[in-house]
Amino acid sequence: MKIFVTGAGGFLGKQIVEQLLIAGERDLVLGVRQAKAMQELKEVCAKYAGTQFRIENANLLDRTAIGRALEGADTVIHAAAGTKGGAADMFLNSVLGTRNLCEAILEQGIKRVIFISSFSVYDTSQMRAGELLDENSPLEVDGVRKGAYAYTKVQQEHLVRQMLGEQKTEVIFVRPGVIYGPGGSGMSSRVGISALGIFAKLGGGNLLPLTQVQNCAAAIVSATRHGKANEVFNVTDDELPSCAQYLSMYRKKVKKLTCVPVPYFALFLGSKWLESYSLRSKGQLPAVLTPYVVKSMYTPLKYSNQKLKAIGWKPEISTSEGLNQAFQFLASQPT
Amino acid sequence: MLRVGIVGCGKISDAHVEQARATGLAEVVAVADREPLMAQQIAQRLGIEKRYTDVLTMIKEAKLDVIHVATPPDSHLAIARLALENGCHVFLEKPLALDTSQTQEILSLAEKVGRKVAVNYLYNFESPFKRLETLLAQGELGEIVHIESAYGYDLNGEYGLAVLSDPKHWVHRLPGKLFHNVLDHVMCKIAPFIGENFQTVALASRRRSPMGSEIVDALPDELRFILASDRVSVSGYISAHAKPVTHTLKVLGTRNSYLLDFVSRTCTPLARQRFPGSIGRLIPAIDQARSFSGEARSNFGAFWRHDYHFFIGMRRLLTAFYGSIMQGTASPQKPAELLIASKAIDAIVASINTPKDAPKDTPNAQMEALSL
Repeated sequence: MKIFVTGAGGFLGKQIVEQLLIAGERDLVLGVRQAKAMQELKEVCAKYAGTQFRIENANLLDRTAIGRALEGADTVIHAAAGTKGGAADMFLNSVLGTRNLCEAILEQGIKRVIFISSFSVYDTSQMRAGELLDENSPLEVDGVRKGAYAYTKVQQEHLVRQMLGEQKTEVIFVRPGVIYGPGGSGMSSRVGISALGIFAKLGGGNLLPLTQVQNCAAAIVSATRHGKANEVFNVTDDELPSCAQYLSMYRKKVKKLTCVPVPYFALFLGSKWLESYSLRSKGQLPAVLTPYVVKSMYTPLKYSNQKLKAIGWKPEISTSEGLNQAFQFLASQPT
Repeated sequence: MLRVGIVGCGKISDAHVEQARATGLAEVVAVADREPLMAQQIAQRLGIEKRYTDVLTMIKEAKLDVIHVATPPDSHLAIARLALENGCHVFLEKPLALDTSQTQEILSLAEKVGRKVAVNYLYNFESPFKRLETLLAQGELGEIVHIESAYGYDLNGEYGLAVLSDPKHWVHRLPGKLFHNVLDHVMCKIAPFIGENFQTVALASRRRSPMGSEIVDALPDELRFILASDRVSVSGYISAHAKPVTHTLKVLGTRNSYLLDFVSRTCTPLARQRFPGSIGRLIPAIDQARSFSGEARSNFGAFWRHDYHFFIGMRRLLTAFYGSIMQGTASPQKPAELLIASKAIDAIVASINTPKDAPKDTPNAQMEALSL
């Protein structure tokens, strides 16, 4: 396979490249735009004898350039995503970039596409406490009510299905939970939110659907090699901690936080008030937490990685080891 | 209710939709973008009925009264012309246009067809500037002698990152690049005081390390400038590196001087020595504490009354603009002042783009241009 990886310089992308090399892939095209990441990837590729690689710094928003960059590839792992800025920025960088990529994929006759999506595409607002979230769980219709990031990911998946679903290209969807590890950020909003020097504990005893970045990358490689057309794979590790356990370890190993526990009912009522206040005040405070978002994000659920295991993946890095590495990294970062 | 359409569906367009609605005088009925997906996303997220990829079709089909132009500035003249010629009033995002001749053309055409034009100079409608206007009308400052402007720009913020990560970003096409984009925010506040004739000095440099892209690396990120007319002078800086990111205007008058801080939304008098000796150095801090305390109370009051939105200046400007359309009164912005702001930007851009013998390879900064 000649594999093109978009977002190869990113937190997940770099690990995908390394896991592809570990799995024996030796013919790569790496979509990367930052000079520092290019150098790091060159060093990674140099570790594996016989590796042929080409670095492409094409912007996904540049349709012509992305077409040229894809030349010669037969498989695409689409890991690039816009995660910063406002709703329009995220949409522009993720959805328009994906549209351009899909056009180029069809033009170049790419055989196989692995699209990295997210847990945020699931409609978890109607799920009951303790229910299992798996690949058959319902999907958000449009994602509007769930916020800018979810909206973008939902629209991105719709677009990929629309453009590639009926074509000869095989598409495999990989939906990771919360990706963590050295180089990543420390705190998922599923655990809580920091504001005005106080950390509001929102997740409590809910399981945190973590996946260590190397494990996640290995899962993507497994899906690339063994997934069938239109198959979906959720990615979470084994031995998931609760949000409270994660926070407790974080406070011991990374930094002290002044925490205030917010029980679910208080969070739900608070979100109702915020939604109403935002409406009354014409957006003076944005309704970032609505009852819909609270139900979607903070209902305690169970998670499954059985489908990935059925194709031979297993998390090589245990959760305790992964958390130790991640917290060591975070503790070493300047505050 | 006025029927409003938005052209350009990028990041600032959300604010246009929300603030147009918040005035209670307009409904946003349509959006247009050359990129259909961008029009689709804003229409879907914000519940807007119609979406188009062509401005003229939108104007005709959606029966619009007002067009908001939120596209890159190199398209403003063409879109404004199209809107004005087809009977719409125009609200432009800043920068108003690429240069004074384009500004003049837009304003002249608006006058000719009897339609109004306004620009999103929101800071002139925020509380510090409104307070300054009141103080000036009351004679509290006397005559203005000098204005000092400080404007910070966070290149790591969402706007900055968008510019630095994309050599095709429209900011790189502007004659004054990054400064051209933000000088409107500075000059709109100065234009009412500087007059038409002034001399200009400007110096621009790039302080950040090169990123390897010729286009991105050509973008300077530090600007110092002086404008001087017969009676009033202005000095200022735009800095992408100084922290915290500031946004102030110090207005020095013959009687009193005030500091307008647009980050904290305060307008406070500068310290004055009212007593001799050491006591004279003790009291001013107490005076200033009182001033800031009064401003804090006033801001909390505005927040309590839901009159403190991040884009409240834009909302007030739109309320005044829509009101002027509905009542047939004068636009809230004087065309002459819009022209002066344009002219000042042109002068600074010309100054920094004039090749001169500049010192090279100074520590931490490569001088891009220097002129007097």
